Amino acid sequence: MKRFKQDALLAETAFRLRARGSWCGETHMQKAVYFLQQLRNVPLGFTFVLYKHGPFSFDLRDELNAMVADGFLELRPQWPYGPSLLPTAVSEELRRSFPKTLGEYGHHIDFVSEEFGNKNVNELEKLATALYVYSECAHDSPRERARVLHQLKPHIPVQDAYEALKHVGQLAEASA
Amino acid sequence: MSKPSRAPKHDHEVRDPVHVFIHFDSDERKVIDSRPLQRLRHIHQLALTYLIYPSATHKRFEHSLGVMEVASKIFDVVTREQNISEDVKKALPEIAQPKKLMYWRSALRMAALCHDTGHLPFSHAAEEKLLPVRWDHERLTRELILSDEMASIWRGMTPPLRAEDIVKLAIGPRKASDLTFSNWEAILSEIIVGDTFGADRIDYLLRDSHHAGVSYGRFDHHRLLETLRIVPSPTSVEPALGAELGGIQSAEALLIARYLIYSQVYLHRVRRIYDIHLCDFLSEWLDCGKFATDVPGHLAMTDNEVTTAFQAAALDSSKTGHVAARRLAFREHFKVLYERNPENLSRNPRSGTAIFQACKEKFGADSFRHDSYIQKGAAYDFPVLWTDGSSVSSLALSKTLGAIPLVAIEYVFVCREKQHEVEKWLGENKATIIEKGKVVEDEEI
Repeated sequence: MKRFKQDALLAETAFRLRARGSWCGETHMQKAVYFLQQLRNVPLGFTFVLYKHGPFSFDLRDELNAMVADGFLELRPQWPYGPSLLPTAVSEELRRSFPKTLGEYGHHIDFVSEEFGNKNVNELEKLATALYVYSECAHDSPRERARVLHQLKPHIPVQDAYEALKHVGQLAEASA
Repeated sequence: MSKPSRAPKHDHEVRDPVHVFIHFDSDERKVIDSRPLQRLRHIHQLALTYLIYPSATHKRFEHSLGVMEVASKIFDVVTREQNISEDVKKALPEIAQPKKLMYWRSALRMAALCHDTGHLPFSHAAEEKLLPVRWDHERLTRELILSDEMASIWRGMTPPLRAEDIVKLAIGPRKASDLTFSNWEAILSEIIVGDTFGADRIDYLLRDSHHAGVSYGRFDHHRLLETLRIVPSPTSVEPALGAELGGIQSAEALLIARYLIYSQVYLHRVRRIYDIHLCDFLSEWLDCGKFATDVPGHLAMTDNEVTTAFQAAALDSSKTGHVAARRLAFREHFKVLYERNPENLSRNPRSGTAIFQACKEKFGADSFRHDSYIQKGAAYDFPVLWTDGSSVSSLALSKTLGAIPLVAIEYVFVCREKQHEVEKWLGENKATIIEKGKVVEDEEI
């Protein structure tokens, strides 16, 4: 996907996440984009690795930076957490330039915003890592997957891991 | 009477203009004396920047020693007993185990030393174009750390080091995406390659400003290093490399210094066009237009071979790459025709591309070059240890950090021979080109 089309979708995601009450910091955007790609097959094209706070894309971090530099997003610091990412008036024009793209993928953005917009960073980390394990360990039993998730993120108890995997499994099946 | 035999010396030091002395032991000296490290004596740290800042002729070798020195200092500060909270001990059990700490300190120093060994001649110039697909200097660094020559050194060290651990710390999770990093390994790699407080950045800012003869990269690094801490994240239980509250001003100074040196030195317009001319030359001169990626081929190629080649090609019109070589050797570089600016950007975010395309269509592709760069990595957000032991975002604390712009450049360059003609034409047509070149959905596939 070319850069400005990608930026239009990212700006729209930030816009809709905020409309659902999200803090919309970098971690929220990282996880929302991961869900868009992994759960809803939106071809944004970012590479994710398992890192601190779960799946993380360095390319996406660079692109969000570039969007700030180009004036599509602005950072609003808020005590005590990291800054929120706000779509700007310039991004409105960009989004208006991509009506077909937003038409094609808008309902996926709505789904992700609705499902995850009100979640905090800890919940997003748990669910995104659960989706990562769900996808990577497709042939393992639910108990085994919960064990893997707990091993990757020891602060997530096995029972919580099991519940998170069950939840993302249901979302994945509904999205298929 | 025979002289009393002197015990072999195990601790060594060299003079350094930034850190005064750099210390290392006999095991580490074997790494310093290895071919991958010695090759860095012939790789300029700042590529062709010496054509603009004449004294910027320092090499990656001394930078690598400096990164080892800074990384060790950071490690020693952040693992000091009084600087570690109970939460951090719980999240990072390695930090309370002296034997493990000793192992990881050694691995960190060696990773710092080796982190740049994969650099091509003239450092960063056009890796994407001059290496085969899926190769970059970090992958070459990885190959070198895992090479037979280095593997035997790692095995002989006390304690023996695992090459895979050195790879992880030297290139970090961004470039070693196939490896899984524990929280501890992620923090150690951040000590070397981290966006904000990485030893790599700290050393190159200080060293490059010293050698270039500019003040932009300087800041109070002694104070900064003393205030670095492993801090619980404001939003998660997983800790990250941050600073204590008293370090916020020196962190501001670091990030301001970084912004200024990028703007004034690294992204200097003439430096950028020389990088492009060098890439043009190399694309013609190298076999199949690419550098070798095997270990012997990589070790055999330095700035010396490339400089000799372009100097010879500049003098002989029958040699491959003659035109590009002349531009380098005789300072016949292209000149800036267009530069990114807020006014054009607000009218069309791809003004530079539109102008570049229009110029090529009107006057021919060979007369123009396009260049752009936007700062990568984390913005200026890092965790700061708050008075109650929790942490807060640096951007929530510091208005100064929020006001530092992200570095972004875009240039269109034109050859000298056509400069005046093109400037006149562009003056008459620029507004139309920018308007017509706006983003159109169906063109963006």
